[in-house]
Formats: sequence, C-alpha cells, structure tokens
Amino acid sequence: MLTGTRSRLRPLLALLLFLVAPSQSLAELRVGAIMSGDIPYYREMHESFVRELHALLPAGEKVEIIPQRPFPDPIAWSNAARKLIALEVDLVVAYGEPAARAVEHEKSGVPLLYAGVYDPEHAGLKGKKMTGCGFKVPLSSLLRYFKQLKRVDSLTVVFSGIEDDSVRQKEELRALTATQHIQLKEIDIRVVADLDQLRSLNETDTVFVTGSALSHLWLAQILDILRQNKVPMGTIFPDSEGGGVLITLYQPPREQGKMAASMAARILRGEEPAAIDPAVQRDTELVFNLVQAQQLGITFPLQLIVEATRVIK
Amino acid sequence: MKRMFPGAQRSLAGHIALVLFCLLALALPKSTAAQQRETLLLGIEPEHNIFDQVERYRVLAEYLSDQLGIRVDLTIMSRYGEVIKRFRDRQLDGAFLSPYTAALGIRQLGLLPVASPVNLNGEAASRGYIFVRADSGIQSAADMRGKNMVFVDPATMEGYLYPRTYLHEQGVKSLDTFFSRYSFAGSHASVIFAVLDGRADIGAAKDTVYDKMVGQDPSMGQELRIIARSPKEPEVTLCLTKELRAELREKISEILLHMETTSRGKRVLKQFEALRFIESNPADFATIEEMAEEAGIPLDARDADG
Repeated sequence: MLTGTRSRLRPLLALLLFLVAPSQSLAELRVGAIMSGDIPYYREMHESFVRELHALLPAGEKVEIIPQRPFPDPIAWSNAARKLIALEVDLVVAYGEPAARAVEHEKSGVPLLYAGVYDPEHAGLKGKKMTGCGFKVPLSSLLRYFKQLKRVDSLTVVFSGIEDDSVRQKEELRALTATQHIQLKEIDIRVVADLDQLRSLNETDTVFVTGSALSHLWLAQILDILRQNKVPMGTIFPDSEGGGVLITLYQPPREQGKMAASMAARILRGEEPAAIDPAVQRDTELVFNLVQAQQLGITFPLQLIVEATRVIK
Repeated sequence: MKRMFPGAQRSLAGHIALVLFCLLALALPKSTAAQQRETLLLGIEPEHNIFDQVERYRVLAEYLSDQLGIRVDLTIMSRYGEVIKRFRDRQLDGAFLSPYTAALGIRQLGLLPVASPVNLNGEAASRGYIFVRADSGIQSAADMRGKNMVFVDPATMEGYLYPRTYLHEQGVKSLDTFFSRYSFAGSHASVIFAVLDGRADIGAAKDTVYDKMVGQDPSMGQELRIIARSPKEPEVTLCLTKELRAELREKISEILLHMETTSRGKRVLKQFEALRFIESNPADFATIEEMAEEAGIPLDARDADG
C-alpha cells in the first residue's frame, strides 16, 4: 500500500520541483578559465578571482569554474578555447592576451573577460561580448633603476613573438632605448633552445624579460644561464619564489583578479560585457633582490633601497 | 584603509633613517649651548641623498667655525618635523629649515630667520608641484578622487601644506574620504619615483628637486605632468634661537651674507652648491601662514612633529 502511494507521489513531486525551481539560477552557471602556461602570475590572479567571485555571489549560490592550463602555443590556446565553448560555459576568463585572442577568434558569442593583459588600451581588445582588465607598468622606471646601478649601453630583451602583449613590451623598450641611445638586442623565444642565445651575454649586459607566459614558464632556466654569466635581470611579473630577478616592478595580480571577479559577477547577473568599462590597473610594487645583487657584485645605494616596497635579503 | 604610512616602504625607510641618524649622532659630536657655551649646534633636515647633504653642510660648518672662532656642530634630523622638537628640548642653537618648519619655528618658538642660500640657478626660493603620470588620465583635482596620493612629510610646505591648501580650494574637505589611500614617502625624490613607477597616482614635491631630476633624466619630464604649482617660498633658511647671544647671531649673519666676497667663501659656496646667501626675515613666511590657515591647519595649532 505504502509502496504504491510513493510511486504515485513521485511524478507529482517531480512536477512540483520543476515548477518551483527558478528557470535559471547562478548554481547552473559555469565559468571557463584559460591560464597560459599555468605560470604563478596568472595562477595567483585566478585564485584571487575565484575567491572574490564566490564572495560576491549571494550565499548558497555557486559557479562552477572550469580551468584550462594550455602550454603557451597557438594550437593549445585554440584547443582550450574550443573546449570551453563546447562545454557551453556562460563566461570565459582569459589570462593574458593570446588566450583572449584565441577565444575571440572562435566568434562563439560566449562572453569573454580578459585579465592580465599588458597595456590593454593598445591591444585593441574590443567587442560586444568582451570586456576585461589589464595592467600597465612603466618600463622606463625599470630601465631607470638599472641605470642607477650600472652602466647600461645595451639592453637585451627576452620576449615571446607569439604573445602580442610580450611583443608590445619589446616595442615599447625599443622606442625607449632609442631615445636614450641604448642598443637593444632582441631574443625571441619560441623553443627552449632559443634560451642558448643568452649564454653569450656577460656582466656588462642587462636583461629585461617581458611579462609573458612563455618567458616566465622558462624563468628558472633563464635565471640559471644569467646567474652563470653574472648578468642582472629585471621583469614585470613577480618573481614569486625570489629566484634571482634583480629588480621586479609589477602590478599585484591579486588586484586584477579581484577586479575581474567584480566584472564577472556583473556579467553572470545578466549585464552585457560591452556595457562594462574595461580597466587598466597601474599601481605597482617594486622589489629589489639584494641577495642576487651580492652574487652579481652590484651594490644598491641606500637612497635607492628606500624606494623598494620589498627587499629580498 | 585611509591614512596610511605604507608598510614595507615606510618601515624600511624608517629603519634606514634611524640607522643613519644613530651613525651621524655618533659621528657628529653632540653638545648643547647649555653644556658648552662656545659650541654652536645647528640642525639640518634630511634630504634624499643624506651623505651628499651631510658633506655639503660639513664644509659650510667648518667655514663658520673658522670664521666665528667657535666650534660649529651639525646634527641631522631623522625627519622633517623633528627639528621643532629639538628646538623645544633646547638642544639646538639654530637650524637650516625648509619653509614650513621655518614658519612653524618662527610662530611657535620665536626663531629668528637669518639667511637663505641662493642656489646655482640663482634661486633662493622653491615651490611645490602637484604632478601625475602623463598617461594617468588625471587632468584636474576632480580626476583625483579615489586615487592614491603620496606626500613628502607632514612638515613640508611643498610636499604637504601646499597640496592640502590646493585640495581645500578645490573643495576637498577630507583626505580620508577623497583618496583611496594616501601616504608619506619621506623625501621629495621618493615621491617623484613613486609616481613615475605607478606606486602612487598623484605626488607633491619641491620644484628644485623635480627640476634637477628631470634635468638629469629628461625622460622623467616626458612621463610626468604638473597639475598645479604653489607660490615660491624661501627654500632653506638658517633660523637661530632668540636665546643665542645677539652679537653671535649678527656675526653669523654677517659671515654668511658676505661669503661670496672672499676667495675661501666662494670655494665653500661652490661646494655647498650655492651662489651666495641673502638676508631673510619673518615677513618672507607670510604666505605659508596664509596657506596653513586656508588648509585649516594653522601654524600655532599645528603639532610640530607632524
């Protein structure tokens, strides 16, 4: 008797649940995230994004995050973008310009939110379904600090030719060094063997490693080579492990993660991406690695040290 | 977070300043007028490159010492506002003061301004600049809302009093609510570096330091935009206590005001990076008083130590 009643109630309960359930709730939403190379910079930004997004959502509501960590390569970026589009995610968050370009290229209509893009105002990332936040770090400041430490007649820039934001940094340095009569040597790294070009440098050289997925994926190898030849290096992504970058001037990735989350929350609540103004974050942190300086035989003047927001010693 | 002395930076700068202060306190014999009558103790406010500064003033102190026939010692403050505290404690006979602390000293302690050096550009006065990065998009005070501002020190005209006055004129009643954050960098040069780097959006600093840095590296001038300029005020003024014997005060004034007439005086001036000294008087600081009133921080009510 009881069994029969239960079986008769089941369809009624199912119907009731169907009727009371909202047509679409945040719990059903899915966000795809593409982190090129899974480097610490994008990882920290993404972790901050996830934390902030959950904090912004009403209690009980959740979003499923589907991360993709492709190797920095056009085919891998494209595959990651296609996979997320096939999964019918409601939003794709792309860290770095190449990942954003790969999603844009698919013309899927899935809202795209970019983050961690260098100088997005000059990247031309625009579209009805796109917004995001990036950063700008004055490369001139890095060069200026190097010039206060040593003579800089030539600068070697390590960049990734397949990453537009890395190329843009290289071009910016080219203009900067030209006005200061500094010779610019360019090393485009496509495969790890390209790093061998660094072996010919010596202590009279100075190296700038662009903020890019590929160069920071191979940062440890780059530092190993430069350390052997006593070549100082600067960059604009944080050297999170204090691995030997002499000067780092970077925009804190956590801040971009937070900003991207606030934009994502608005998109998930139904706002059109184009209605959300893109943002550029310009606040920076300056780190001097005195341990590395000692190994390179470089002395930081006291009046320079006080400028740092953090000193590794 | 509103009023903020930035953590690592401030802490590091503070530690270095403390270490330097201790070293200098040991290096420069410490005495007071009360302890040793024939010793003159003069204070100096810290600049960005403290070693260069000490060297410049050491040469001048030696010259004064020889001319006066008494020992002249120097003591460097750990920061701008501390000089007033030192006077209060009666440890100083005089000090080379920036305009705001000179005005504070004149008002609160009755200090007597004696002479101001004329710099190598022929200027005895300096003014404050309020500036931003040229690519920041900030064009006016209205655009500064919600941004991050860096001042020099609460006891500086160019690096605090003037921007406070400017902001007050622009309708800004509270720094706490207007800016997302504000901080004190401790030196004019540090403010300029902070804005160049993007560590702060807006800075306020002295024109002489700004112009010198831009002169040495013209790219800085291209990257920065000056939003506002203050009136000119005496850049550095030797102020003496009224307790110092009148004849000694007059002698010091006479020596300084005639330095450029002797060959040794000229050499010392060159090392001191000045052309000559000119006479100073309390009326030179009237504009500072007006600015302080305007900003709502009158000199007689102002905590001298910031």
